[in-house]
Amino acid sequence: MNILVVEDEPKAGNYLLNGLQELGYCVSLARDGVDGLHQALETPFDVIVLDVMMPKMDGWEVLRRLRKEADTPVLFLTARDDIADRIKGLELGADDYLIKPFSFAELVARLRTLTRRGPIREDEQLQIADLQIDVLKRRVTRADTRITLTNKEFALLHLFAAHHGQVLSRSLIASRVWDMNFDSDTNVVDVAVRRLRLKIDDPFQLKLIHSVRGIGYRFDTQP
Amino acid sequence: MNRRRPYSLTLRLALIFALLAFALLTTLGVALYRELEQELVRRDDAALISRVDQLRNLLNDGNTLDLIRTKPELFQNMLGNRESVLSIAAPGQKPLLLVNPANIELPPVKPVPKDHVLALTDVQHLPGLNGVPFSTVAASIDSGDLGSLQVTSGRLMTERTAVLASYRLSVYILASIAALILAVVGYLLVHRGLLPLRRLARHAQGIGVSNLAERLDGHGAPRELLPMIESFNTMLERLAKGFVQLGQVSTDMAHELRTPINNLLGETQVALQQDRSIEGYQQLLASNVEELERLARMLDNMLFLARTDPAGALHQRQELNAADEVQRIADYFEGLAGDVGMRIMTEGEGVIWAEPMLLRRALANLCANAIKYGAPGSDLLIQAVPDAEGLHLKVSNQGATIPAEHLPRLFERFYRVDESRERSSQSNGLGLSIVATIMQLHNGQYGVSSEDGLTCFALFFPRRKD
Repeated sequence: MNILVVEDEPKAGNYLLNGLQELGYCVSLARDGVDGLHQALETPFDVIVLDVMMPKMDGWEVLRRLRKEADTPVLFLTARDDIADRIKGLELGADDYLIKPFSFAELVARLRTLTRRGPIREDEQLQIADLQIDVLKRRVTRADTRITLTNKEFALLHLFAAHHGQVLSRSLIASRVWDMNFDSDTNVVDVAVRRLRLKIDDPFQLKLIHSVRGIGYRFDTQP
Repeated sequence: MNRRRPYSLTLRLALIFALLAFALLTTLGVALYRELEQELVRRDDAALISRVDQLRNLLNDGNTLDLIRTKPELFQNMLGNRESVLSIAAPGQKPLLLVNPANIELPPVKPVPKDHVLALTDVQHLPGLNGVPFSTVAASIDSGDLGSLQVTSGRLMTERTAVLASYRLSVYILASIAALILAVVGYLLVHRGLLPLRRLARHAQGIGVSNLAERLDGHGAPRELLPMIESFNTMLERLAKGFVQLGQVSTDMAHELRTPINNLLGETQVALQQDRSIEGYQQLLASNVEELERLARMLDNMLFLARTDPAGALHQRQELNAADEVQRIADYFEGLAGDVGMRIMTEGEGVIWAEPMLLRRALANLCANAIKYGAPGSDLLIQAVPDAEGLHLKVSNQGATIPAEHLPRLFERFYRVDESRERSSQSNGLGLSIVATIMQLHNGQYGVSSEDGLTCFALFFPRRKD
């Protein structure tokens, strides 16, 4: 996946570049709006991460000019928690936004969603190692043992399994499983994951749910 | 836009005084003038008539006619001044006597018949010379042998005109002087009357952030100004209170920031003291992330509280199924409650007219508190009770009773019942103030009661109005 990051803040630009490269993406970094627009028009990118507050040419202007030529998906970054600001961005043709400070895992998840082509194919059967999930019948078995889960536990497991190998942030989990789109001070997600582990992981040798310190959780056969 | 210059009350009142005085005095003067004019005209007319009457009597005597013929200068002297005109003539002939020192052109006047007694109405008023009115009366006289004669007497009213003109002038001068005096007096009076206002303005100007406790002094101010002073003082009161609160919030926030920043700084500095294993660095960074997330959440909450676009929230209101929303919250907190042996019970139905994210945030904050402070092993109850006006949501838990003096202040930012115990915990003291803000955005109500070990937070969402 080809990603263009347009960010004038040096530290932010660097960590976005490194972080995304480490995940195996092909990343170009532009340090200002003029360069960003130039690169965006020269090279076909799969997605553009665009900071709004930039000297010389701000993100809105870049977006406005870019939209005349191309419809590359754009995710904009803003430091202003202002509804009018967000609406402006979306009206100018941006596809998504994140408010600073944001979690890196969240950014990665959003970028994946933006670049996903076609409708999401919901697997009816999921198999990870010896864990089997029948989505339609809501049946979970591991090593041929039937595991009974509550509705939310099932939703959480399904989310993990559908994104296995990816790091999921706590706020993303809260949003997808309970539809709670705000950062809560509580450790509800940790508690829910712990309870799921009790049923899915604890009785078995191979652990599937891994904590990723400081970010969230990863569902994987690899430790 | 109306951008007129502000008018001066003092000047305006002074001008109104002056105009009124001038108008009144002039009207009075004009009325008196008319009276005087009529009186003078009447007198002049009476004099003319009496002269013609005398001549009527005189001319009945033949000797008089002879005298007129022989010594006309006697009659000229008789009239005594240059404004008078006298003519005695037979109809169609050269006058027997014509006294007309000013050579006034005599217009033809219809004479009063012989048998008719002269009255004031017989006097003719003519425009005369150069605007000076000319009064005249004519009468037929039977003079025996000479037959019928016509006597015409007239007078140019120069003197009267002069008297009236001087009278008019006096009226205007006096009215003007009175108007001027009243204008000045009015100006001074109003200026003096507004002195308390200027004093208040000076006082108000001196009130700033440093002395918000100062109040305007209503002492010595006229009664009309007292309501204004009172309102101004209550406004100051509200401002002072708001200002203190705002200052308190800033102070509290700075203090709240200390804990996570202190942790970040300390842990990182200690970690850098010597070389550590990869594991050690990872631990440090993970701990840093936790503190930073805490800071980010606090920032998010502060910005949420400072948000001033209630219209935005109200636009996104939806009619939500109360049972679903309550169940969603119960599901969300199921695990957390289970950890402390609490059960979440839900009941109720109805429709909530609210912005879904804000509603969930409010409920989540209440439930998080209820689990944190609820007695382990007890039940947490979430109820939805619809009524004609809207929907009541209640979150009740069993646990220590909150002392009554804390209840009214629970919804204030950073307010904590127990200062020492909770500083370092996960809570940042903003949860309930966010609930309050959310309810204000929805034009709803919120409250709390705590009695006999049962604490109940109640929210009210008004129903949709078309």
